[in-house]
Amino acid sequence: PSRGALQLHDIWTSLVSPGHSSVESAMLRPATCVSVAAPSLPTISRLRCGTAPPLRGRRSSTTVRACMPLVQQEVTLPSTLAHREVAQALAAEAAAAVPLLPSAVPADVADFRNSAGTAVGTLDLRRGAPASSIDFMLHSSLHCKVPNGAIDITSVLIFLNALTDAPHFLMEFIQGSPTSMVVILDLLPRKDLALHPEYLHKYYEHTCLDKQREKIEELPQTRPYRSPSLFVRSACSPTAVSVTIDCGQGGEGTLEEIVCGHLASAVKEVLQIWLHSCARDTSEMEEAEREIMIKRDQAVRLKSIEVDLTANLPRMFGPDVSGHIIAEIRKAFGVQLQEA
Amino acid sequence: PSRASISVSAPARPAVSRLPRGALRLPRAASPLRGKASSAVRASAGPAGMPSVAHREVARAVAGEAEARLGDRLLPSAVPADVAEFRNGDGTALGSLDVRRGAPGSSIDFMLQSSLHCKVPNGAIDITSLFINLNASTDAPHFVMEFIQGSPTSMVVLLDLLPRKDLALHPEYIEKYYGNTEADKQRKIIEELPQARPYLSPSLFVRSAFSPTAVFFTIDCGQGGESVLEEIVHGHLASVVKGLLQIWLGTCAGDTSEVDEGEREIMVKRDRTVRSKSIEVDLTANLPRMFGPDVSGRVIAEIRKAFGVEEA
Repeated sequence: PSRGALQLHDIWTSLVSPGHSSVESAMLRPATCVSVAAPSLPTISRLRCGTAPPLRGRRSSTTVRACMPLVQQEVTLPSTLAHREVAQALAAEAAAAVPLLPSAVPADVADFRNSAGTAVGTLDLRRGAPASSIDFMLHSSLHCKVPNGAIDITSVLIFLNALTDAPHFLMEFIQGSPTSMVVILDLLPRKDLALHPEYLHKYYEHTCLDKQREKIEELPQTRPYRSPSLFVRSACSPTAVSVTIDCGQGGEGTLEEIVCGHLASAVKEVLQIWLHSCARDTSEMEEAEREIMIKRDQAVRLKSIEVDLTANLPRMFGPDVSGHIIAEIRKAFGVQLQEA
Repeated sequence: PSRASISVSAPARPAVSRLPRGALRLPRAASPLRGKASSAVRASAGPAGMPSVAHREVARAVAGEAEARLGDRLLPSAVPADVAEFRNGDGTALGSLDVRRGAPGSSIDFMLQSSLHCKVPNGAIDITSLFINLNASTDAPHFVMEFIQGSPTSMVVLLDLLPRKDLALHPEYIEKYYGNTEADKQRKIIEELPQARPYLSPSLFVRSAFSPTAVFFTIDCGQGGESVLEEIVHGHLASVVKGLLQIWLGTCAGDTSEVDEGEREIMVKRDRTVRSKSIEVDLTANLPRMFGPDVSGRVIAEIRKAFGVEEA
């Protein structure tokens, strides 16, 4: 069992009730996360992973601290967190490539925080353009102060609708310390793979997705991450990247290099594969098959995403803020259900 | 009647094909017993010449336990003698197969035990499998166990309650057979061994067919680790296998819940796909290579009969 994941679990249990499997809840929780580009955050010169070589020895967090306003006691997003940069770049690339309506999220859901100022979140939710196969894209990021530091969770989830049976796109980074993080990266299958080997072949074998997983797992700092949720394990594909990257004490620079290097490259590749093979298709389906697929999508959403939201957001952000956010997410899901 | 172990390539599982290429190149002439293999030959070995290997003893014990508990829900074995035990021309590969069909009215489809011993240039490969498949009267998981040992210090372990349904569509199925049974606790016991690392089948299909609690590991004790492996096999591994068998016997073998007609059709189709994709992947690749076309043809036919899979 990975020490990183255990550490993360400990941190989460200090936030949520003991009866909750909090790492599990952290697993698929797009809505709890906060986007980097929130306009209300202090502007700080940001280090971009993609455009500059990773700074060695220089810690982006010290730069942030130097610039943070002293006026408020509130926590502000350390906007130069490498993994958030990677997610930001990915979300931008995806948004440019698929037909999406403009973000329809109200300002107080786009950016939210708890009253104690110890947790900050942003959420970007964009619905697919009419007649497209995109259901929605959800990009969220959460920063939460905890006794020993902070937790940062960033997710990008692109859900397709009933016009296609192609896999959904899922990426989640859960960083519990400057030296370790959990990475989930997958194309979530919409069909029972054991019953549909041709689906498996089309979207997973033919696309050589497993090579991307291998590239990440080759890194000596990685070890497998098994979600405590059996459902989440079942919902993921056989090529899912699910790892803890743990660079050990003093490994901050190494982790940043990995995030800006190997990880960013793998994430881009998987997105490209998804854009090319999944995002533009519509599929012919028998009505009965479509019904099963819709039911399956609902189960995945219900069991993984909504359970996370309703369990954890209120604890971190209080009932009002979280209620509002949850309603917004549900609206996005609900509308799609009706349209399908 | 003590039937020695068992056959060759676990029809449903990643077997010999998963071993590194070249591991199965059989010498043309009969090769003398290599040092390690000969020291492992004991009088209590099974069919003539099949050396005793710790994992085979564990498998035999588990199979015995299963047979005892299932009792008359299993018919006696009906495998012809030349498939019950078989070998290649020069005796460098030995195998045995036992298939017992479920009695009429029981939920058991069949129980298949198999063992293979194959000499290779640097030693031997030993593969032992146990499958207990249920029929369409129940949707409970099958029991699957396979040990693939490529050296005295390392082996691949595959152990699972093989799901019969689309898990993402049926979270209640996950709860019933995997959550509530604490099958994952058994998996963790192996996972926590420092010598264990996850084994990822090269076949995406095989990966998809298994449950979220599947025990799928390489146990590698490193140079000089022969006795450590043996300890693990007789200790942790034996205990986990027994534990999972108990869970299966308690929760799956006796399950009498109704299977919805529409669901049954899907389930039967799914079972058939899993069997044919696995048998195909496993057997056809390896048996002929190890036993030549005639012997392997006979054995494959018998296995196909058990699984109810038609010739491709």
